[in-house]
Amino acid sequence: MKGADYCVMLFDSVSSTLLAEKILKRQEIPHKVIPVPRHISSDCGVCIRFSLDLRNRVEPALAGKVEFREICAL
Amino acid sequence: MTREVDARGRACPEPVLLTKKALEESGEITVIVDSRTAEENVKRFALSMKCRVRLERRGEDSLLFIEKPVSAEVSPEAPPYPASGPIVLVISSDRMGRGDDELGEVLMRSFIHTLGEASRRPETVIIFNTGVRLAVQGSAVLEDLRALCNEGVRILVCGTCLGFFEIRDKLAVGQISNMYDITETMLGAGKIVQI
Repeated sequence: MKGADYCVMLFDSVSSTLLAEKILKRQEIPHKVIPVPRHISSDCGVCIRFSLDLRNRVEPALAGKVEFREICAL
Repeated sequence: MTREVDARGRACPEPVLLTKKALEESGEITVIVDSRTAEENVKRFALSMKCRVRLERRGEDSLLFIEKPVSAEVSPEAPPYPASGPIVLVISSDRMGRGDDELGEVLMRSFIHTLGEASRRPETVIIFNTGVRLAVQGSAVLEDLRALCNEGVRILVCGTCLGFFEIRDKLAVGQISNMYDITETMLGAGKIVQI
């Protein structure tokens, strides 16, 4: 897994993260729920990590269903 | 003169306590026990006291000939188990913390993911009760656990628990273990981290 290019999608709440996860799972878009990396935020939060090249599938999948705060490259 | 301690039929931790007491009074003792667990425990205790131990098995009985090192004093405060030892992580549930199940499940996934990135790894991960669901096919943390396993972390999964949930045939990571291994590993740990 190391060496791959990932980004993480941050949300305003854990429930939004989980909702987004459900949607991605249903659409079979590979992803992983991970803790928000330390360098991004010191909050004890969770976010969704996916590979950069899936970004153009993830965003439309969630559009209008769940709001995210931002997407950060790892 | 060799002092004899007959600890047969005694339940844990009595054999160790009797051994400790006898060593405080005598430099050379023979301890007789009738279970492998007691044998292991007494032996480990004696070795932690830097004693010389010779083991002889006679039928069901184990005889441990224990000799105290000349200069050493067995201090009454001495811990019966080594104070330093490996880090053992104990996962007793498939969720992290009590309260909300959905949240607990996310926290557990998050925790096990982070474990793979931590600079300090446990030597052994012991998984029991509902925690065993984490180690079977379909578990969301399977890949993380496998990665830990591949890096040399020993993963012991409670066989009784797998049997209870009828998922023994679905185990996908780690080795099926029993209460003896689990107890021994926990008691031999320098530090236990329980989730």
